[in-house]
Amino acid sequence: MSVTAQIIRRRRPSLAGYVFLLPWLLGFFGLTLGPALASLYLSFTNYDLIGTPHWVGLENYVRIMTADSKVADSVHVTLLYVAMSVPLKLGFALAIAVVLNKGISGLPIYRALFYLPSLLGASVAIATLWRKVFAGDGLLNHVLLVFGIHGPSWVSDPNTALYTLVALSVWQFGSPMIIFLAGLRQLPQDLFEAASIDGATPRQQFWRITVPMLTPVIFFNVVVQTIDALKAFTPAFIVSGGSGGPINSTLFYTLYLYQEAFGYLRMGYAAALAWLLVLAIVAVTAVAFVTERLWVHYDD
Amino acid sequence: MIERARRPWPRSLAYHIVLCAASLVMLYPLLWMFASSLKPNAEIFETFSLFPEHWDFSAYSRGWNGLQVSFGQFFWNSLLISMLSVTGNLISCSLAAYAVSRMRFPGRNICFSLMLMTLMIPYQVTLVPQYILFLNLDWVNSFLPLVVPKFMAVDAFFIFLLTQFFRGLPRELDEAAVMDGCGPWRIYWKIILPLSVPALATAAIFTFIFTWDDFFGPLIYLSDVENFTVQLGLRGFLDSGGQSDWGAMFAMAVLTLLPVLALFVFFQRLLIQGIATTGMKR
Repeated sequence: MSVTAQIIRRRRPSLAGYVFLLPWLLGFFGLTLGPALASLYLSFTNYDLIGTPHWVGLENYVRIMTADSKVADSVHVTLLYVAMSVPLKLGFALAIAVVLNKGISGLPIYRALFYLPSLLGASVAIATLWRKVFAGDGLLNHVLLVFGIHGPSWVSDPNTALYTLVALSVWQFGSPMIIFLAGLRQLPQDLFEAASIDGATPRQQFWRITVPMLTPVIFFNVVVQTIDALKAFTPAFIVSGGSGGPINSTLFYTLYLYQEAFGYLRMGYAAALAWLLVLAIVAVTAVAFVTERLWVHYDD
Repeated sequence: MIERARRPWPRSLAYHIVLCAASLVMLYPLLWMFASSLKPNAEIFETFSLFPEHWDFSAYSRGWNGLQVSFGQFFWNSLLISMLSVTGNLISCSLAAYAVSRMRFPGRNICFSLMLMTLMIPYQVTLVPQYILFLNLDWVNSFLPLVVPKFMAVDAFFIFLLTQFFRGLPRELDEAAVMDGCGPWRIYWKIILPLSVPALATAAIFTFIFTWDDFFGPLIYLSDVENFTVQLGLRGFLDSGGQSDWGAMFAMAVLTLLPVLALFVFFQRLLIQGIATTGMKR
């Protein structure tokens, strides 16, 4: 074989690799990296889709941080939502997974039933249903009436509207439950046998063996669910009819961003809001990985 | 399993009671919605009963024709968008996954890191410029902004899923194929893809469900009622007549859930495995 032929043979795979990657490269540069940089630029401008972007420096960011009370409301609502929904959801997921892992018969059926809400929950159909479950004349109040309680209209009371969305999120504990179950099945059984021979109660086994051994899975679920909750949109949009009401009580950050971009056509302002969301997500991830050492146990 | 034999039966009975009660509470809203779609409107908000006193199937026909465009059109639109998205994702993501998992070329690891990085970027960041781009291409109010990106592997999650699977296939297969004179395309098409049917099926099912349920994309890109997906149709119904006709609203809601339910019934094992092994959030 001649030298050139060898070089060609060696070089061919490298070209071929990029041919396979071509669709992704187009998408990465054209739809991800390019737009991300463009939105960074737009975040320093005022732009209403009609004229040309008008450079305003840090004005958008300054207004977000200091002068826009709706941003403050939406950050408050979103953080409250994250702080309530993530622990509750993961708590239920872990509790049910532990019970299901006890060698109970009918496990596949229970697992399927508990997973179903997770699968369906992101749809408009379920958000619509939720609106009627928690309405004044809705399902929940009819059930409460059996106990002689006259419930309020949960979705239209600013004090309770957010809780209905938290309930919707917690209701969808199925997928973290499946991840917990998969994790629980990997735990070495001999540890539990040794512990029960030494007289450890089930409760001690749970807190001293199950939880520490499961921390990598818990860590994963906390990070994923937190980021997901920060980005929640559809339930708030449907339950509040797109307004984030009553009185901004369900104005999720992403919903406000949507209103700014497509309601008021303040594209630059919306881009700034989006970049702050990225920073929040990066911050959450960074904090998670920095504190990981303190509480996540890796078997090595 | 030894544990189960040792367990006294009252305790396992207690577990079953707790689990049954919990699943009933969980599923009650869904069952109630289905029951409500079979009740006359006057009856829906009278009780929480699951059994209609008067059976009434007319909600389905009222809902089907409740907007100026029939729900049949919305179903067709959703089906078209979802099937095209599945096709796009399978082609583009499997190509990318094949390149980073089975081929050697300079820059491969950088590309893979970039793919993982895009997993973290929320779509809100690219939203505004993408919208401006599609507006300038005159694609807004067509299916193109929803479908074309799928042919460019923008759902990095599925690249990741397929990469994991491809890496698990034995290397000897490729080497033997190279000996037999196969190029990368034939290895990809004749060896890797046929062996990866379970992973491809998982990617296809999840793409279908995500696209079917997607609300935000259609919300910003589709404005003509003829182009609405089922999710937009439901929302339109809620805003217009649905306020007074909840029976029809629930009937259509039930119908929009059926395709996802059907996939769940037939492919439950793949779905649950997919979540357990990749940590998907749904």
